[in-house]
Amino acid sequence: MHELSIAIEILDIVEREAAKHGAAVVRRVNLRVGDLSGVETESLAFSFDAVKGEKDLTRDTILSIERLPVKIRCTPCDEVFHGAGHMVVCPQCEGFDTQLLQGEELEIEDIIID
Amino acid sequence: MSKKITLEQKVLSRNDILAAELRKLFNEEQVAVMNMVSSPGSGKTSLLEKTLGSLSQNLSIGVIEGDIQTDNDAVRIAKTGVPVYQIQTGGACHLEAEMIRRALVNFDLKSTDLLIIENVGNLVCPSAFDLGEGLRVAVISTTEGDDKPLKYPAMFRSADVMVINKMDLLPYTDFDVQKVTRNAMSLNPEIQILKTSCRTGEGLNEWANFVKNFAHLIVSGV
Ligand SMILES: Nc1nc2c(ncn2[C@@H]2O[C@H](COP(=O)(O)OP(=O)(O)OP(=O)(O)O)[C@@H](O)[C@H]2O)c(=O)[nH]1
Ligand SMILES: [Mg+2]
Ligand SMILES: [Zn+2]
Repeated sequence: MHELSIAIEILDIVEREAAKHGAAVVRRVNLRVGDLSGVETESLAFSFDAVKGEKDLTRDTILSIERLPVKIRCTPCDEVFHGAGHMVVCPQCEGFDTQLLQGEELEIEDIIID
Repeated sequence: MSKKITLEQKVLSRNDILAAELRKLFNEEQVAVMNMVSSPGSGKTSLLEKTLGSLSQNLSIGVIEGDIQTDNDAVRIAKTGVPVYQIQTGGACHLEAEMIRRALVNFDLKSTDLLIIENVGNLVCPSAFDLGEGLRVAVISTTEGDDKPLKYPAMFRSADVMVINKMDLLPYTDFDVQKVTRNAMSLNPEIQILKTSCRTGEGLNEWANFVKNFAHLIVSGV
């Protein structure tokens, strides 16, 4: 839904960081996207390619997207599970006393520059 | 030589940035803001029509109506005497924070206690657009099927309360209230559940009290 505006924001951050470090070229952007973030991988990749433009700095930048599956911890069972279909219910005891450990991320982990 | 720069930086959409600004403004002005979402026709406007009269005895309320086309809902709300502004999105299937920001010139936030936003009827897109609200209400009606939370998880995950409306029609459907409750809670264990009928009046007091308590919590700054 927001993929275009997110792609623009990523490019903004990347250009700022590149300038700070005097980079001539940004080789790669490593992004982490949780399965609960609502962000679609293909749509974001497409949007990023559309906005990165013809500038030398980002023309060949690869956006690498790592998907992070949902991870929940059930308090009574004290075990970690992958939720299915956005569910945070414990698959073992079917209880709701769980904690979301992973799945909502949308962050730039690092960038590779020259 | 290539160099790796570690950022570990969260990326926000433009809408999220704007919604955060709105939320700050609403906090400063002590306005309680509620965003009502549902599929088309679940009864968002009906719930407001039935309860705005009693709510506005203690609270100064404003309503923003969001629809793709027509001002039908604003006309219905205006009959209750509560100030209302209609946003016609002209095609967009959801409201965005920017639309709310622009609509705010029609309200005096200083004297408003509760701002109610009725979103465009749609179970998908509105869930992704934070409007700066303090409370998100998802309305589901008994004719829609009790599997809807599982089919539209983002909506029910992001809601604070699920109102099950059209309870009067329950005998004519295979809708299972326990099942829908369990489905919603499996996505969102904290979600609160209310049951209403705009026909028989069932649960409307509870609904009005729920909204009142939310508004008082914000306005009194507790
Ligand atoms: N039987 C019954 N009908 C209801 C109830 N609540 C609303 N309705 C009817 O359902 C229809 C749709 O109600 P609205 O209040 O317009 O629904 P809405 O969610 O505001 O619809 P949109 O704004 O178009 O998405 C109307 O014909 C209402 O009279 C209810 O509790 N029981
Ligand atoms: Mg309506
Ligand atoms: Zn468990």
